[in-house]
This record gives sequence, C-alpha cells and structure tokens, in this order.
Amino acid sequence: MKSAFCLGISLLIVALCTGCVVLGKNTEYQPLDPALLDPLVPGQSKAADVCKVLGAPSQVVELSNGNAYVYRRSVIKGTGVWLVLVTFVNGDEQHDRVVFFFDKNDLLTHYGVSLNAGKASYGFPF
Amino acid sequence: MASRSKLIATPALFLVLLLLSGCISYQLRGRVEGGEISYPGDRLVVGKTTLGEVLVLLGAPDTVARVDGGDLLIYQRAVLKRNQLSVGLPLADIWRPGIDLSAYGALVRYDRLVLLFTPEGILSGAAFEKSSDHPYWKAMTSNS
Repeated sequence: MKSAFCLGISLLIVALCTGCVVLGKNTEYQPLDPALLDPLVPGQSKAADVCKVLGAPSQVVELSNGNAYVYRRSVIKGTGVWLVLVTFVNGDEQHDRVVFFFDKNDLLTHYGVSLNAGKASYGFPF
Repeated sequence: MASRSKLIATPALFLVLLLLSGCISYQLRGRVEGGEISYPGDRLVVGKTTLGEVLVLLGAPDTVARVDGGDLLIYQRAVLKRNQLSVGLPLADIWRPGIDLSAYGALVRYDRLVLLFTPEGILSGAAFEKSSDHPYWKAMTSNS
C-alpha cells in the first residue's frame, strides 16, 4: 500500500516536471577588445583614427561642443522553462559600450568604456 | 480506510492536473537590460566634476544627447516583470467562440542616472532614480 502511494507521488512529481527547457543566446556584433583602445589617446587621436581601429560607429551624436561616437555590442541570454501549468521565461541583456567625445576639430577629448556583455547570464525571472 | 482514500486521491489528483494542463497556465516573464546602477554620492559635485572624471567613474553612458545649454548623459537599467494567468477550454476546433479568460500585469522599472554638463564639460546637474527597489505587487495594485 505504501509503495503504491510512493509510486503515485513519484508519478505526480514526474508529471509536474514534464516540460522543456530552452536556453538561447543572441549576440550583436563581436565583443569589444579593450586592447584595441590602447593606441587611442585623448588630445592626440582624431575621429578618423577611432574609425580606423573600431570601424563605423553604431551611432553619431552631435553635441554642443563637438560630436560623440557610440560603439555598442550586446549579448542577450534567454532562459525558458515550461512545466505542466507554469512557465518561466527570463532574458538578460548586457552591453559592451564605448563612447568617444570629440571637439569641433574632431580631436578626441575623452572616452568612456563599459564592458558588461560578458556578464549576461541565464536564470529565472525571480 | 484512510490509506485507501489516499491511494485513490493521488491518481485522481494526477489525472485532474493532466486534464487541467491545457486549460490553466501561469506564466512569469522577466527581463533585465543593463547593469546595476548606483548613485556615486559625493564623488559627483555640481559645478566641479568634469565629463572626463564621470567617464572614468561610471564608464560609457547608455545615451548621449544634446540639450539646451549643454549635453546629457544617461545611465540606465530596465527591469521587466510580467505575470499572466490564463484559464480556458481549448475547444476552438469544435466550438468557435470557446472560453478563454486571461489576466496579466506587466511592469517595467527603471534605475536611471541623468547627468547634465555645460558645453565646457562641467557637471551642471544630476538626478538619480532607483525604481527597481519598489515592490512589484505594490506597484501593480497602486492606482497612481
């Protein structure tokens, strides 16, 4: 009698856990290599030097005293778990970003770097 | 007697769950875009801190824009949560109107740091909002 009860419970657990799991990854472009930034020096490098090293920017923004070139890469990791009655779906999107600031003569004045694309992770939405 | 009723109840529950699996479903969906953002506190001084110092401190912003009287940098993180409960009878093949009831609530909360600079690159204003700390259910049930 006890073993039949255990079998019933086991069947119930198996039935509730029946479903599927999906892991997905979406990457836009290649990750940014920090070593590529070494030859780019504020006060010396020009916009053309930046484009020569990193290619065309994702976005160009006109600022009050020059321009900004934005380079953006993104990684999205998605997780989906489908059980009998319950579904969990989660997405984590992280970016590698470099923004270069140029004065009106296209001379590099500053740049900022955020490399977080590698931190995108699979997981649950709670 | 009690054991016998348990023996009957377990497969019955199993059967009910299997039958309901096409009728009831609950979905929890989440999405995060961007990394953690925190306010740098006293390291940002309006009228003193420069654009270069901010870029070293916080890295590249999510958004750069020109506004009246200067430039704007925005650092942002978005957190989405969506709950959905659906109840329905999958009878579309035999009865066109069918029965399908579903309720859902979606909420996107933003952590956002906005920094305003003069054309010379000096910090002229800063604003920070961290809404990802707000409780999900409280926000969903609030009328405001």
